[in-house]
Amino acid sequence: MRHRPFATTNSRRALLRAGLCGLGVPLALPGILQSVSSALATEALDGDRERRPERILVVVELTGGNDGLNTVVPYRDDEYYRVRPSIAIQKRDAIAVAEDRGLHPSLTGFERLFKEGQMAIIEGCGYPHPSLSHFASMGFWHTGVPNGGEPLGWVGRFADAHATPDRPNAIVNIASSQSLAVRSKLHSPLVFDDPAQLRRDGASAEQELISGLGLDGASANETLGFLRSTARNAVKSGATIRDAWSSYRTPVDYGIGGGLGSDLKKVAALIAAGLPTRVYYVTYRGNAFDTHVHQADLHSRLLMYAADAIRGFMKDVERIGRSDDVAMMVFTEFGRRIEENASRGTDHGTAGPMFVVGNGVKGGFYGKHPSLTDTDSGNLKMTTDFRRVYATMIAEWMGHDGAADILKGDFEPLGVFA
Amino acid sequence: MRHVLRSRLALLCCAGLATTAALGNSEPDPPPAWIDDLRPLAAEAWNYDRASHLLERAGFGATPDEVRELAKLSPEEAVDRIVEYEAVDGSGLADFEESGIWDTGMDPFPPSRAESVRIARERGISLGVKVLPDGASRRLQPVVDKFFYGLRSNVLETKRLALWWANRMVTTPRPLEERMTLFWHGHFATSEGKVRDYRLMLAQNRMLRRLATGSFRDLLLGIMRDPAMLVYLDNGENVKDHPNENFGRELLELFTMGVGNYTERDIREASRAFTGWTNDVTRFQFDPELHDDGPKKFLGRGGRFGGEEVIDIILDQPATAEFIASKIYRFFVREDISKPMRGALGELLSESGYEIKPLLKTIFLSRDFYSSLSVGTQIKSPVQLVVSTYRKLGVGRMPTVPDFNQLTGRLGQSLLYPPNVAGWEGGRTWITPASLLDRGNLLRSVLFPPALAAFGHPDRRLPAIYRRVEERLAQGMNITNATRSGDSGSSMLADADEDYNTRYGGYRGYVLAFERVKLVPRHALGVSLSALVERAAVTAPEEAVDHLLARFLRVSLGEADRSQLVDFLKDRIGSDELGGRSARVEDALRSVLYVILSSPEYQLG
Repeated sequence: MRHRPFATTNSRRALLRAGLCGLGVPLALPGILQSVSSALATEALDGDRERRPERILVVVELTGGNDGLNTVVPYRDDEYYRVRPSIAIQKRDAIAVAEDRGLHPSLTGFERLFKEGQMAIIEGCGYPHPSLSHFASMGFWHTGVPNGGEPLGWVGRFADAHATPDRPNAIVNIASSQSLAVRSKLHSPLVFDDPAQLRRDGASAEQELISGLGLDGASANETLGFLRSTARNAVKSGATIRDAWSSYRTPVDYGIGGGLGSDLKKVAALIAAGLPTRVYYVTYRGNAFDTHVHQADLHSRLLMYAADAIRGFMKDVERIGRSDDVAMMVFTEFGRRIEENASRGTDHGTAGPMFVVGNGVKGGFYGKHPSLTDTDSGNLKMTTDFRRVYATMIAEWMGHDGAADILKGDFEPLGVFA
Repeated sequence: MRHVLRSRLALLCCAGLATTAALGNSEPDPPPAWIDDLRPLAAEAWNYDRASHLLERAGFGATPDEVRELAKLSPEEAVDRIVEYEAVDGSGLADFEESGIWDTGMDPFPPSRAESVRIARERGISLGVKVLPDGASRRLQPVVDKFFYGLRSNVLETKRLALWWANRMVTTPRPLEERMTLFWHGHFATSEGKVRDYRLMLAQNRMLRRLATGSFRDLLLGIMRDPAMLVYLDNGENVKDHPNENFGRELLELFTMGVGNYTERDIREASRAFTGWTNDVTRFQFDPELHDDGPKKFLGRGGRFGGEEVIDIILDQPATAEFIASKIYRFFVREDISKPMRGALGELLSESGYEIKPLLKTIFLSRDFYSSLSVGTQIKSPVQLVVSTYRKLGVGRMPTVPDFNQLTGRLGQSLLYPPNVAGWEGGRTWITPASLLDRGNLLRSVLFPPALAAFGHPDRRLPAIYRRVEERLAQGMNITNATRSGDSGSSMLADADEDYNTRYGGYRGYVLAFERVKLVPRHALGVSLSALVERAAVTAPEEAVDHLLARFLRVSLGEADRSQLVDFLKDRIGSDELGGRSARVEDALRSVLYVILSSPEYQLG
């Protein structure tokens, strides 16, 4: 066993009790949330499977393939300037965070997190035999099983192994359709875009009638079973989520980017409401980071929006008193090609940096920056298997021992968490 | 006819509704041996229920009258009538009426506002609009207005195009034609979001329809030369000295072979073969100057291949036939395809020289298609859900209140705007807790539509920021003040106000587009449910419920659910009799139908 976060069951329980009271959850919430949080407390104290039930993982996906080299800039590397004559970030513009590394000038949000020691930058993340296809590569990151036909997502498998099956909404995915990453065998992830959508219209007699349908026995039709259980969960959780969101007010600025910031704000609202969710999954949508053409301005905006939203979220979480309980992991499906293309953009590439953010993080650089000259036909050779970062989140952060089973291989955590 | 239906319904009621069939099926469940059996269904096995299944899948569902028509034929005749749809007169279907938004000088449309301004500064004219004379204020404003007009009017026109297509799906006597067009639209996914030119979207839609059930080779060649696709995959950037791998990758991964059947090198070589394939706005163009004529090594063969030869090499691969055949199978039959089935269908497709019709006929006639794993097990796509609701209601034209694009868009599927090159993933991914609730809610808005006056015209609605601009201008503010944004952090649109004002341009773009794009006529559902049940010679509430259940569901509700619905209907009418037509009865029937359409069962087709 690699991690034994609590020496004995008793001390763990004591800590849990303290942790749960620390939330202040049961005091001021509407009835439905109280029952949820007391259920959480009971489960946390009695269930043997879940360690650190107060801890929450927020996964942020940047879709489209973020240009890692212009995000964490190797500004002392002449080769970088040679292969990117028109789009390289100049040394004078980069935000220096290490002797030979600078952040893109738009990443002021990350600069603060890094300088406050709350951000780990893991360089050169990738996997063997990388695919340059968005769909294939994103699928590999989602399943955590590159070049394999795994049907479930890594977050889904984590929930299967870690959260008791009857825990409601162990996974929340803010999206208009469910990500493969959260596809689970035992859990039905709560997927929604607009909290206001989570209700049934019509007269109460109609609503009651609909809820009362299909209760007389199981069906041999598997898809029907799936639809029925999803419908039941929707009605039950809808009220909880709507209440949490409609009553949420925060003075914190999530930046002007809209999308990601507003989705992270929904996460903050649900955390504030004491939802028993273990993993939140949010996405910078629309394949936005796919910067093939004239990327400079566009990439600069994307990074600013993303960093401001992430920094804003961490501030908000601090404001509601949960900053010790929340960690974020930021990834993209691939970095981009080392050399810029003829349209002042970059094509699909391989390895790139990942970010882990949180109070518990030992800030700094991890992994190793890939070489720009020793390449795989013009693409970076990865230096850190991304599943080591997943293992870090599973074992070090969530305190779960079975990372090797979940990830279908032994991946050494990076020691990001103190 | 009506009496036949009635007696069948009566039979059904006596037998209880616990069978998997929704209407008129007194047969036992299909034998398990039918699963994966491609041999044709025996004539004796053909009945109302199987005809209904065929229309549900090969089309968009149908009214009981239409199902009965098909049930009277033999299975071969029925499948022929569906697949050989050219024999069915489709001349009653109106062509798309273009608004005529494209003015001379707008081609080629600049990639960005900045670019349109740069051209204007350089040449004194851009987008066919002249820069104002020296000394005039905001000299470049007309150009910027025109740029935003171009963007906005193309979005609005594309949405009209989507409504035209949806109406065609709802009203066509040749439903398979539209089903296959929709299939190819998802397969060769292209979005106006990137193409930004409705003319290209329209041309592609026509091409997909024209070649929908012909030869896959023609279709593939058509799509590789299709201006919308060339723009969507940036093939203008795929040139001799800098081949763009996007084109070759999507061709192999998504359009023909699927992952795992080729190498990264094959992708690069395929892309080289398509260098110089580009478009002069609406026309395909081959530019020999930009074409890489050098020797290539592709899928184990060598030669100075061009695009067409690469396509033929791809079509020679058994993997291609299997990939296409099984994707068609998954679209029409079920998610999971067995290995032997995959092989058999692939062989069939390649032996027929990639002709689609023989494959479709085999599938639609097969026992497997009517097996328990296939019937009532498919989650309807949002488009299928809404179109089939209208078809089962028997509407003569598609209602436009609520708006079709808004309905399906909220459920995750907007025609002409697929999410990415991979199209819609389908199956269970359509369903989330939120979208499942929404399916019921949105169909409720079909049955209980908002008042026309309140609904207004969504295609004439300004976004909030531009409404504010409009209000301020109306109050007499000058352009600078009217467009000043309150949100200090937003520097995006607050650039120079000297030569032009971007936010004002954005506002003007909407106004100009509203003037030119034809208004979508708005009307709500015109069908009366009381009349529907009356036509079915239904008099008792029990019969009314049974009629609606049978008409709409492919997977039946349990007996307990049925009696709850009956009680609910009686309660709403306030009587044990249906009585004549009245607003009260109509509302009550609509409530019952809302409950039925909200059930998990209705999501299955």
